[in-house]
Amino acid sequence: MKLHMPEMPPAILLGALGSYNLLPAIVFMPTRRRCDQAASETALMRRDLSDQRREARRDFMRSWVELHPEIRGHRHWDTIIRGGVASHHAGHIPAWKMVIENLMSAGLLDAIFATATVAAGVDFPARTVVLTVADARTANGWRQLTASELQQMTGRAGRRGRDNVGFVVAAPGLHQDPVRIAELLKARPDPLLSQFRATYTTLLNLLDAFGNFAQVREIAERSFAHREAALQIIRLEKAQAESAQAIERKLKEAGCDLSLATVTGFERLVSARSRLYEAKPQTRAEALHRWLDEVVQPGRVVGIGRSGKRLVLVTEKRDGNLRGIREDERIGSFALERIGRVYSPIYRQRDELIEEAFADIRARGRELVIPEPRLSASQAEEQNAVALIDAQLDELLPPTLSDEEKSRYTEALWSTLIDAEDLERASRRIESLRAEVWQPFEQRARVLAAFGYLDFEAEKVTERGRWLANLHVDRPLLVGEALERGLFNALQFDRIVGVVAALTADEERDYGQLELDDALVTALAQFEDVGFKVSSEEWKLGIEPAPELNFSAAAAAAAWATGMEWVKLVRETGAEEGDLYRMLSRTGEALLQISNLRQTHPDAARIAAVGADAVLREPVR
Amino acid sequence: MRRSRDRVVDKKRRSGNKNRSRTGEPVAPQARRDTSTRPESPTTRSLSAEVKKLLQGIGTPRPQPFQPDPFQLEALAALEFEDVLVTAPTGSGKTWIAREEIRRLLNAGRRAWYTTPLKALTNSKHQEFSEEFGADRVGILTGDRKDNTSAQIIVGTTEIYRNQLFDSLRGGTDIDADLVVLDEAHYLGDEDRGHVWEEAIILTPPRIRLLLLSATIGNAEEFANWISEVRGVRCGVITRPGSRPVPLRAAMLLPDKRLLPLVNDHGRLNPEIATMIERSRDEQRRPARGHRRRF
Repeated sequence: MKLHMPEMPPAILLGALGSYNLLPAIVFMPTRRRCDQAASETALMRRDLSDQRREARRDFMRSWVELHPEIRGHRHWDTIIRGGVASHHAGHIPAWKMVIENLMSAGLLDAIFATATVAAGVDFPARTVVLTVADARTANGWRQLTASELQQMTGRAGRRGRDNVGFVVAAPGLHQDPVRIAELLKARPDPLLSQFRATYTTLLNLLDAFGNFAQVREIAERSFAHREAALQIIRLEKAQAESAQAIERKLKEAGCDLSLATVTGFERLVSARSRLYEAKPQTRAEALHRWLDEVVQPGRVVGIGRSGKRLVLVTEKRDGNLRGIREDERIGSFALERIGRVYSPIYRQRDELIEEAFADIRARGRELVIPEPRLSASQAEEQNAVALIDAQLDELLPPTLSDEEKSRYTEALWSTLIDAEDLERASRRIESLRAEVWQPFEQRARVLAAFGYLDFEAEKVTERGRWLANLHVDRPLLVGEALERGLFNALQFDRIVGVVAALTADEERDYGQLELDDALVTALAQFEDVGFKVSSEEWKLGIEPAPELNFSAAAAAAAWATGMEWVKLVRETGAEEGDLYRMLSRTGEALLQISNLRQTHPDAARIAAVGADAVLREPVR
Repeated sequence: MRRSRDRVVDKKRRSGNKNRSRTGEPVAPQARRDTSTRPESPTTRSLSAEVKKLLQGIGTPRPQPFQPDPFQLEALAALEFEDVLVTAPTGSGKTWIAREEIRRLLNAGRRAWYTTPLKALTNSKHQEFSEEFGADRVGILTGDRKDNTSAQIIVGTTEIYRNQLFDSLRGGTDIDADLVVLDEAHYLGDEDRGHVWEEAIILTPPRIRLLLLSATIGNAEEFANWISEVRGVRCGVITRPGSRPVPLRAAMLLPDKRLLPLVNDHGRLNPEIATMIERSRDEQRRPARGHRRRF
């Protein structure tokens, strides 16, 4: 419920606040530009009348210049000294922000115009916090403030030991919403939500530490994100147990001696029959897949590859992916499609019996193999399928039963069908919940395997993967591939700086229109080519495409690395100092990471070290 | 924490050192009372009883010697036998708890890791601890800075700490710390970097005490329960009662510079403001009569 009121000019706003003794204040503004404008405008309209405070500010800032020469001649210098106000946002360099924060703590400023970013992290309070809108601006437009954001903001109101009371003031504005602010003030703080996700770096490090996927998976399943799922799994397991009890009770009441496995087997057959009525396979591949899906079951031994020579005892099956134990007793995962042969016996998955199972298959595999259906056969089978399942249903019951018993048993089985369905549904849900956390890791493992950084079957990080695990940069796989292909080996240091900046910088941000030299353009093009190869592989395995390279960052960083002065860089790029600072600082850190690879990539490491030196100079450090 | 910093500044002022604080950064002479530059003060105007009540007590409290809050002492006591999650707003003295616990460990010859999400914060904590405990006992580790890395206290970014955990897992070595402080632990909810905090919590060996300092969050108990489950060590929650160190009052300023309380004593919207909103909505609904004449 917005209350449309005319926007109050900042100088008048501060005058009004002053008249109630509500200064110093932090005035939150939606954009950096508005902060800067408000500060300059105030300085022009409203002079701080106290000469003494003006002098104090001048002295203070001059003394800071000795430590931080980069703030000399800052475009907001006069604003601060004359008006006693400042703007504070992520567009400024840290040294400048520190000056503002300290001026404020010293009581030398009447107001700071700030964006919501001030609300996080650094600690500088005022008597009053002013809200000009109840919305926050994001990359995708406007949205309402959250309770936590408002709390971070109002957390700045009232200086401990210096104020008896702090104030939050809703100022007049076109989009002011006092109702919303009042609600948010009362609201419970937002809950902390997990942002756990799979990354190449985490996967490589954990796999290298543990040497198998099972333990990496176990770590992933301990995440805060998975906690909800884990609790749900516990609930589902309880429901499973209840269904099993219900089934047993019904069987007992009917006086039937049947195992739970028979009941679930019955349910599967019944539901398979109804599925058969619904859909029929169209192609040979589909028919084969359906056949495999049907016959491959935990406990069966299968042969991997067309020749089917490598034997695996299937232990788990979900969504077309299987896990199983190989003959060398290692555990591995593979896709249903890779199975060449399936053997009919179902073995118990007990450690001590596995060896026997494999020996059995080796001895009489030829006679145990389940014949693969031909398409015509499969079509014929379709027609007979229902009859076949009916026959199997009959075979479920012990052959020794009398006719009377048979009908009683059948009736009992049908009476348990609902419970069996519940049981099976719970099992499937548990499977899919467990897959949710793990799947993104598995996808990444497959991508890394495709590029040779890990061996998927052996569940091992390769030599290559070991150094990649140590490379803590944004998009490590892309950088790793560029290194492996020797892209950096012959580059001049300013070009490696440009390339690394292009991948480190925010995709959306514009760092000006400086010219790119031909060699840098070539390097970026080669790098983009590698990026495309990586992204294609990722896309194939269902991973979202990575952001694009930022060419304007490459140009700005290369210019900085070859000695352009800071003031000139800021002027010529037209970018904000704070954005340049962050981009260059992160570029420098990434270069330092590459420079650590002296053992495996000595040439690139050497050039990266020179590049890092060139980038990490004052005021970037 | 601020109180003690102010104290130091005051001390420096008394000792005549006006231009350098203990941090080595210049410090301004203490400003004169803010009110001196205000042409009007509320007492010179006729204010409604409502606004008088809103502004009652405004001003600076008499200086008081620093005394720890009960929640700070409670947190310190809890740390003796369990992990602790402290949730309180910024500026209410969370860092004091960490500093005192670190002091206690240092005296016992033990070691601590202090992580922050930002380089700027890491640098300022490094400075703060260097002054408090002596520069030789404090090291720093960020993406581009490595100093005194075998010191008793290491200050660094959470990413670097997490990377050390990876290295120790892979190398079969142990993290050389008895306490790990995760400052700004609510960064766990950060879209881009939050996963690093989770990994740090999951992978920190249970023998190392964890102290998490967080802004106020809606699910502190749930968060702490998860930490307990994952680490197998109980994690207690300490929340500052009343939540704010300085009370907060909400007001609204109108275009005619009138000040109104935003809410009543029960946190409900001031009826006068509600009426204004009602009127403004009617205004918008009515066809604007004046408009046609203008064109």
